[in-house]
Amino acid sequence: MVSSEGPAAGVVLAGGRSSRMGTAKAALEWHGSTLLYRTTALLARTLDGPVVVVAAPGQDLPALPAGVAVTEDPVEGRGPLQGIAAGLTAVAERASQAFVCSTDMPFLHPAFVRCVLGGLTPAADVALPFARGFRQPLAAVYRTSLAGPAAELVADGMLKPGMLFARCTVTSLDDARLLSDPDVARFDPDLDSVVNVNEPADYAAARGRKPAEVVVECFGALASDGRRGPRPVAAATLAAAADAVGLTLDRHVVAALNGDQITRDPLLPLVAGDTVAFLSADAGG
Amino acid sequence: MAPGGYFGRALVVDVAGDAATAAPLPLDDAVLRAYLGGVGLGTWLLHTLSPAGVDPLAPEAPLAFVFSPLVGTPLTTSAKFAVVATSPLTGLLTDALASSQFAIAGKLTGHDAIVVRGRASVLSVVLVDASGVRVEPCPELAGLPAADAETALSARFGRGWRSAAIGPAGERGVRFATISHDGRHAGRGGLGAVLGAKNLKAVLVRAGTKAAVADAPAVLAAARDLRARSFGPATAKYRELGTLANLLAFNAVSTLPTRNFTAATFDGAPRLAAEELHELRGVARNSCASCSIGCEHIYSRRGGGSQRMEYENVFALGPMCGVSDPDDVFAASARCDELGIDTISAGGTIAWAMECAERGLLDEPWLRFGDGAALLRALDAIGTRSPGLGELLAQGSRHAAGVVGHGSIDFAPQVKGLELPGYEPRTLQAMALGLAVNSRGADHNRSGAYEADLSGEVDRLDGGDPHVHAAIATEDRAAVMDSMILCKFLRGVFTDPFTEWAALLAPVTGWDLDADELRATARRIVTAKRAFNLRAGATAADDTLPARMLETPLVLASGRSAALTADTLRSMVAGYYAARGWDAEGRPCT
Repeated sequence: MVSSEGPAAGVVLAGGRSSRMGTAKAALEWHGSTLLYRTTALLARTLDGPVVVVAAPGQDLPALPAGVAVTEDPVEGRGPLQGIAAGLTAVAERASQAFVCSTDMPFLHPAFVRCVLGGLTPAADVALPFARGFRQPLAAVYRTSLAGPAAELVADGMLKPGMLFARCTVTSLDDARLLSDPDVARFDPDLDSVVNVNEPADYAAARGRKPAEVVVECFGALASDGRRGPRPVAAATLAAAADAVGLTLDRHVVAALNGDQITRDPLLPLVAGDTVAFLSADAGG
Repeated sequence: MAPGGYFGRALVVDVAGDAATAAPLPLDDAVLRAYLGGVGLGTWLLHTLSPAGVDPLAPEAPLAFVFSPLVGTPLTTSAKFAVVATSPLTGLLTDALASSQFAIAGKLTGHDAIVVRGRASVLSVVLVDASGVRVEPCPELAGLPAADAETALSARFGRGWRSAAIGPAGERGVRFATISHDGRHAGRGGLGAVLGAKNLKAVLVRAGTKAAVADAPAVLAAARDLRARSFGPATAKYRELGTLANLLAFNAVSTLPTRNFTAATFDGAPRLAAEELHELRGVARNSCASCSIGCEHIYSRRGGGSQRMEYENVFALGPMCGVSDPDDVFAASARCDELGIDTISAGGTIAWAMECAERGLLDEPWLRFGDGAALLRALDAIGTRSPGLGELLAQGSRHAAGVVGHGSIDFAPQVKGLELPGYEPRTLQAMALGLAVNSRGADHNRSGAYEADLSGEVDRLDGGDPHVHAAIATEDRAAVMDSMILCKFLRGVFTDPFTEWAALLAPVTGWDLDADELRATARRIVTAKRAFNLRAGATAADDTLPARMLETPLVLASGRSAALTADTLRSMVAGYYAARGWDAEGRPCT
């Protein structure tokens, strides 16, 4: 989305130790891809600025969507503020603000991201959700001009995001404020966007959830064999949506997400409220 | 000796009074290999035969019917010919393709092209076969639709003759009149007016010889393979619903030009959709000569009769004019066929006039968006060039806007004078570049950059460098396909197109071709068109889009805004020139 302040970037922190999970959370399977792929692709389809993954030094990452860049923390294990600083630095030349999140938010919804972006008032440096009872520094929007101050704090050994908040202007977005956004209220009423998976049981519970309901419509020759008209299906990815209506995503088929973005990425994450139009790849007329 | 698939000569016919003279123009191997045939060879012929600065409707302006090495072979979709001339609508090079037996009969007169110049003293036809050329007067055909004229000519001269004819609009000099045979139109750019200006109702051809190919068994094997592939998923859209399948799909992705490009979605689209019409009105499917795809879909009309419908005529006479009643659109399409006018230019020009009337710039209070009867009335006015509105609109939207003034050029839906096809540039920004720079004007057949926009390869709402490369790639592919000539509806069956096309041309011609040579050929043809236009007075300032598209963003159903700024377009055009190796003014540097 384009805000009045220009493009908004996405920053995904993937360099955590995943100690409670016991395995790298970034690489956890998620409907055919990984948690990291899902999170970065979700931001890429939502934002019009660059999307950057912040990894630990030398960290192996799973495959990423086309166009997603990677930067590294200068030092391993210094916590989220270092990642925030590194991410903001990486995107600062191309965006004035960035939505920053962790890799382990499998229900992050574009409506939530847009709502938080919209909550960044002109006078504020940070739009900080206070959702489901907790402050959410890793589901927040930061001005990229905070890259320097954040890095200075880290250099001084002040490693917690709260230390940055104490030195800048923060707009807090509580549940009521978030849910006053009609799209958030409709598609993310429990604010599941901020749900983390920290332990194997969290992951198993999240993975066991039924995928979101999306509306699929096929056009032209693809609408034959009884596929004409919109139909709701449960699908976490574009490939799952195609499969649900008996289509194979090959070079002869493209998809339009919510009427504008054209894609062929079978792993593109889908969310509640999405509409997917499957079209013939040949648009000759 | 000519290469396989060629005769090595064009026939230049000069009509004067009630007679014609003809002279062969040798086409040596180097010319044929450099320009292939169709659009490419036609461009070379225009460079060679067209006097600089000639009025497109002057007797000395050449009109070329150009065949190709593949015509007459068993390769599917190869029965095509190009008609090439200076356009009376744009003043620049125009070329249009049609598919029919005219292509085969014309080539088998023993010529790779037939060029007509001059002017007959009365309405006449020119007949060309292996034995020579003659002119026959035909004043009794005046005012007849092309299809009726074809029937009459067949009865008069015999069934062996194939005719490319014009309707009454061509006779009257409507600047977007077509030339047609067997219901297929060489539609864009006003070629029918060029033939009409020569006082010729039709050109008739009759086969009298054969064209040898270099390796007949290999050509047959290639034809069998291509035919089999033509039945696959790449062409399913065309077989099952035809090009009209685009309508609902384009509506779903906000790229269906509506009410003279004031919107990109149309509430009435479902009524005009192929899916709907196929179920309720579909009566037949048809193919061009030598085609295994069969993209023509024919629908019943209320009150009797039937009508072939394509995406472009439905877009132009439906959403573009705000008309949603399928019977109105069927009737308007049929009227365009009878008059012999290009549906895209007709719909675009009338849509512009509707907007002018609604804004009070034209004193035609009956002319309103959404009024099917008004659409038909306007078409009749154009076809007869009736004083006032008909005379004005028969010149096309650019000229008409010049007459009406009051800033109406800003929303005249044209580039270089040619009205835009049914692809919204603001939501297809690779296509926006293709439309802006193409030599023919706003054109979707010589530049199919929408392929990139609608493939996900580029962000269709944010034009930039990737769009430049996509536009060039598609323009190059079109240059070769239009010169070989193969139907573009086959394009999806090729996974390595230049290599595969070289493999098709090699056994026909005997040339040892490869993909790189064909890529160079494509660039040569595109550059030759550009050079012709520069000679005709075109400048870099012509490579743009109507102001409306550069100043007024569209808001999509998703809430996202689709804006194409003049800066973005200028930047892409500059990138295009640089990538083509042209200078900053778009002039080829060699």
